[in-house]
Amino acid sequence: MLTGEGAVGFRAVEHLAGFVGFLRNNGFAVGGGDAIEVLRTAGRVGMLDESVLRWSLQALLCGRSEEWRRFDELFAAWFLPAQEAWRPAARHDSREHAQARPFGGGTARSAPAERDDSGRIAHLASDREALGSTDFRAVTRRADLLALEELMRRFARRLKRVRLRREARARRGRRLDLPGTIRRSVSSGGTPLRLSWRSQRRVRPRLLLLIDVSRSMTTFSFFYLRLARALSAELTDIRSFIFHTHLISVSDALAEPDPFRAQQRLQLIAQGWAGGTRIGESLAQFNSEHAPRCVHARTAVIIVSDGYDTGEPQRLSAALATLRRRARRIVWLNPLCGQADFTPVSAGMQAALPHIDLLASGADLASLEATLPAILEALR
Amino acid sequence: MSTRASELVALREQLAEAGYIAEAPLAAALLLMQDLGRPLLLEGDAGVGKTEVAKVLAGIRGTRLIRLQCYEGLDAHATIYEWNYQRQLLAIKLLEHDERGIAQKEQDIFSERYLLKRPLLEAISTDTAVVLLIDEIDRADEAFEAFLLELLSDFQLSIPELGTVQARSRPLVVITSNGTRELSDALRRRCLYQFIDYPDYAKELAIVRTRAPQVAAELAQQIVAFVQAVRRMDLEKKPGIAETLDWAAALLRLEIASIDLDSTEPIMESLSALIKTRADRAAFPREVVARLAAAC
Repeated sequence: MLTGEGAVGFRAVEHLAGFVGFLRNNGFAVGGGDAIEVLRTAGRVGMLDESVLRWSLQALLCGRSEEWRRFDELFAAWFLPAQEAWRPAARHDSREHAQARPFGGGTARSAPAERDDSGRIAHLASDREALGSTDFRAVTRRADLLALEELMRRFARRLKRVRLRREARARRGRRLDLPGTIRRSVSSGGTPLRLSWRSQRRVRPRLLLLIDVSRSMTTFSFFYLRLARALSAELTDIRSFIFHTHLISVSDALAEPDPFRAQQRLQLIAQGWAGGTRIGESLAQFNSEHAPRCVHARTAVIIVSDGYDTGEPQRLSAALATLRRRARRIVWLNPLCGQADFTPVSAGMQAALPHIDLLASGADLASLEATLPAILEALR
Repeated sequence: MSTRASELVALREQLAEAGYIAEAPLAAALLLMQDLGRPLLLEGDAGVGKTEVAKVLAGIRGTRLIRLQCYEGLDAHATIYEWNYQRQLLAIKLLEHDERGIAQKEQDIFSERYLLKRPLLEAISTDTAVVLLIDEIDRADEAFEAFLLELLSDFQLSIPELGTVQARSRPLVVITSNGTRELSDALRRRCLYQFIDYPDYAKELAIVRTRAPQVAAELAQQIVAFVQAVRRMDLEKKPGIAETLDWAAALLRLEIASIDLDSTEPIMESLSALIKTRADRAAFPREVVARLAAAC
């Protein structure tokens, strides 16, 4: 039947095939077809030599560097006996009670209690309470969520147009595109009636979102995560990170097509959510770990934070200066900025001001809508 | 030792002879790549030797290497085929007084004779399997990635005027990415994956000994220890293997016999081979270099 069967016994086949499901439960992007490939591979390389099998399966089943780094541990947990304690918990499916819960709000408080079935209902109630008391209850209403998503779609479309207009202008370039002209002349029997031009092509700026989810931002973080999710549905090359005392990438979780699973993944990520803020440290961490990969000369960095930093202001200033040299624009969205009596006096904001291109509000739908043209203008 | 394990050892020896020090997982992936006929996706920072894998693979297999360097705006005309318009136009003029029917003339003009093969088409239309290197795929657009999937899954290409071209031989496909853009899951799933990290001390020493045999053993150890220490620092652009080899050559040229406190001055002069940005250069004042040199 399967290629691997001759070399691999029935029990082993079952165990091997189960490994794929185990990896999927641990967040690997593997599909059903991979089980057959695993058996085939095992048939080829044999199961006698553990490390050869491990290296082969690693090449076969990993798709990105995070998976690559976690693979050894998971392989050992599945195949090597008597290490039950190692095994990372399989993700349990809790769709039905995740449904009622939005992204932010009381997620960290709810995480430990999630597995407790009896306490579940009571917990959900307290979640609603927590949300009810926030300033952002307006955004949890379905109509407003849709409005936000629509706004983000419009923004994304306008952002795409930044690129398109540049491309159109490029069509009237300065340099003649000879192969193109000849190609077009074929339809007129070889007489080049219509010329084709070459010119530098520009693409839209890539967006990078850094969202503060510390305690002082609790009331806003749900709103901004929603915004990030709506944007990442529209734009393929957007990267999103959240930070409080340190920085975590949430691009994958936001890109999850199933909204409930996206919520779950964000909840898992958000441990330590709503703690203190160390903006400088988080940005420095970003600069050293992620910036070389996701920031280039056309990247626009959007930082969402109220600027209340418990770290040293010098550190924030230095990290922003480094980031400024790499990126094209830095836009700082400060939700407090919309308030009438706002002046950027906090130490964090003072340190940041010299390095940012635009400081804007965006605390709710209306102010965000008012701010977006300015952001687009800054990105141009 | 199982047969696979001995194959693995043999392949690593072959690779080493050809001047490439490969870790066991990479060798295992190279073997698997031929078993399953899947492309190999290599990720890692710039300068860790990703492109070299394809070159050395072609070397030990004794086949040709066809390289496709990706860039923004890469399209089908640059990667698969282009009609030789000049020749076609000439042919139209020449065929004007030909007796044959229009359909036949057209068939003649759009035949393989007038086709300029670009790397992808060339790679699947040779009689013996070649190594196809698709370098820095993250620089190309997503549209190109989607388009590459057809080739990678079925090993066939569509040319509207000619129809589908089936591969005469299956090339060994090596794809490299620096991770500047997230690749699609579809592409990742079709490929075997290998993450290549900066080499550790022992591996880098072996590389320096293989690629720069004229460097004395003791100096080679010091060079590698120095570079490893540099990599542990917080830099914008960490030096890759190519930089290590450049620097070794620079030290030879400056006739430095060993790295120690006395040679701080010439080391400062040669650092430009190792450190490539201004901000990083500022992280290496005299005292730092002296401290690193003394530690070697």
